[in-house]
Amino acid sequence: MSLRISTSSKYAIFISLALAAVNVKAEISQTQWMKLNQASINEHILPGYQKLASTSEALEQATADLCQNLTDTHLKQTQSRFNDMLNAWQGIQHVQFGPIELLMRSYTIQFWPDKKNLTSKQLNTVLNNAEPATLTPDYFQTASIAVKGLPAMERILFAEQPLQALKQQTFRCDFLHAISSHLEMQTQNTLNEWKLYKKEFEYTSSEEGAYESAQEATIDLMKAQVEPLEVIRDLKLLRPLGKTDKAKPRRLENWRSRNSLLNIQTNIKSLHHQFSGAKDYSLFALLSDHGAIDLAEGIEQQFVALEALLAQVPAPLSQHINEPNVREQLLLITQGISLLHKSLDKSMSTLELQLGFNSRDGD
Amino acid sequence: MMGINRRQFTLLLGCGLVSPNLLAKPQQLLFASAAQTSPEGYALKVISKQGRSLINHQLPARAHHVAKHPHQPFLAAVGRRPETFIDVINYETGLLSKRIESSPGQHFYGHAIYSNDGRWLITTENEIQSGQGLIVIRDCANDYRVIKQFSSYGIGPHELKLTANGKTLVVANGGILTNPGQGREKLNLDSMQPSLAYIDLHSGLLTEQIFMPAQLHQLSIRHFDINDRGRVVIALQYQGAKSDDVPLIAFHSSGDKNLSLVKAPAAINLAMKQYCGSARFDHSGTTAAVSSPRGNLVTFWNAQDGSFLTALKSRDGCGLTATHEPDEFLISTGRGHCYRFNAKTGLKEKLPLGLSSQTAWDNHLTLI
Repeated sequence: MSLRISTSSKYAIFISLALAAVNVKAEISQTQWMKLNQASINEHILPGYQKLASTSEALEQATADLCQNLTDTHLKQTQSRFNDMLNAWQGIQHVQFGPIELLMRSYTIQFWPDKKNLTSKQLNTVLNNAEPATLTPDYFQTASIAVKGLPAMERILFAEQPLQALKQQTFRCDFLHAISSHLEMQTQNTLNEWKLYKKEFEYTSSEEGAYESAQEATIDLMKAQVEPLEVIRDLKLLRPLGKTDKAKPRRLENWRSRNSLLNIQTNIKSLHHQFSGAKDYSLFALLSDHGAIDLAEGIEQQFVALEALLAQVPAPLSQHINEPNVREQLLLITQGISLLHKSLDKSMSTLELQLGFNSRDGD
Repeated sequence: MMGINRRQFTLLLGCGLVSPNLLAKPQQLLFASAAQTSPEGYALKVISKQGRSLINHQLPARAHHVAKHPHQPFLAAVGRRPETFIDVINYETGLLSKRIESSPGQHFYGHAIYSNDGRWLITTENEIQSGQGLIVIRDCANDYRVIKQFSSYGIGPHELKLTANGKTLVVANGGILTNPGQGREKLNLDSMQPSLAYIDLHSGLLTEQIFMPAQLHQLSIRHFDINDRGRVVIALQYQGAKSDDVPLIAFHSSGDKNLSLVKAPAAINLAMKQYCGSARFDHSGTTAAVSSPRGNLVTFWNAQDGSFLTALKSRDGCGLTATHEPDEFLISTGRGHCYRFNAKTGLKEKLPLGLSSQTAWDNHLTLI
């Protein structure tokens, strides 16, 4: 796809694809749902958690080295490992079921948006008190989620003069390392538990398992495919853009480490991969097998077009978000996300998958 | 038994007047509930004990709760906020008996009850311009004419119940301000003040009102049940930060100064995802069930001391009703399933409904 097509024609692409006609052929068997589930888990979810665990291990190693050698090189190395782990998280953040739900792990890794600025307040308290007990695993078990995840690390690693601050107070680096160790443990446990949880997807029906049928398990996977789009649009784009023309750059996710745009690019890329990236089977293949090939290809092209639009946005977003043409680009992207969401919703009703009724829109 | 033989059955069929679905006698009916039946289609359904769908009455839009008349064969399916209709169905004929429209400038909140003598239909409504909650009383014997309306003593009144003697109305004022002009958007999350109001049905005067403590003012009181002894169990919904870990169940008895807020064991409380959809006592009034459709869970509680009993996994399970057996409940789900569960024995049975996978049961179900 050309990156230089005009705004209006790109918009037309989104519109026309969302309206693709659908005619589903046959009922889908539990065996097919199971095949879809297993391909998604083996080729998408497990590699995602594997990457999260390995990048957090590398970050822990880098922070340990940094605390031994407070040099600019070690700081840069740690910042880079931080970016790697954040990126791995952005690639698997959309999966909100299974082991990641335990112990508030998801919020522990990233508590955001932080509307009351709890991370800064609570982190400052911990750093000012410098209690040795706050470096222990026991403390982290019960500590507030605001001080034990990536946002707290980001505040230390991407402060205005990070190295100077670390040199002034050794506890600061010790606490940074303690957070990193906690994250390493949580992500490793998540991966290990997923290797067991995976077995819940290896049957077509069950009385006692986590899911009554393979199709029911597919619903959890499809929620991960569809529902994060609204979060990306509303929290990561529309909220920082604000309702008036004046954007609020500090509402961008990870503006301190300048990852706001890359986060969104990674989110979309990962959802795209879940949709059509697995070799064994995918939602794309399932739709195609059931007569909804136009819809499948339409969604595929919507992903490609969104990625192309995102590639044109200048980084760091926090510095450019107030430029009128960037605002226009971002608003176009939010519309593209809405249309992609609509197409995915349509694919759910085509496959007769009810993602949630009372849970989604109760009263 | 149906009390009808094959020949009579054929004769009746031949008349072409009676649908075979309606041959079942009333005592064979099991439950009624609002449902979504296709992406844009909503219905009031009545299910028999054999799991057959006996009535499938198309509704103009999504409904919420269904009220059953105490001694006549009427069911009132109430439009979900901000809808303005109630369809009253005769469940013996399957026919629409009356479509009630809310008064101009008002809309329903999805809940209604009949008075204990069956004479009045009582609803919670929104006076749109002021945003104040209303209780509206209609005369069932007089074409559902509005005979009286008074304040609910709060914003966003939702479920309502009568005490056993039928004299005191208990109302959940959810606290959340909405305006149909802005759809279902919540307009006052920073200042919401949920409360449980006890109102004298005859005079409309407030006799008692319990507010959520200030630090938990975003914990909306939306759904509850009351047993014969006046014990209230409340299913709460939290509007604050997603990472907060707050109690999601409350108990109250008239005269208690405060709500008794309770939490499930830590892992279960977190799994409930800050949202409970429905609360019901069992037939004996000693065990309470509360559904958490976002957490795919139903939790069970001791009504007297508020202690946690057990939890049951139930995907998108929300609708609850007591059967005639102690400790036994029916649970309906957004996946179109229905289960019978005994909280003491742990026995669980899936009812064979055989509905299309597009059928989703709405929040509440009503035993017939």
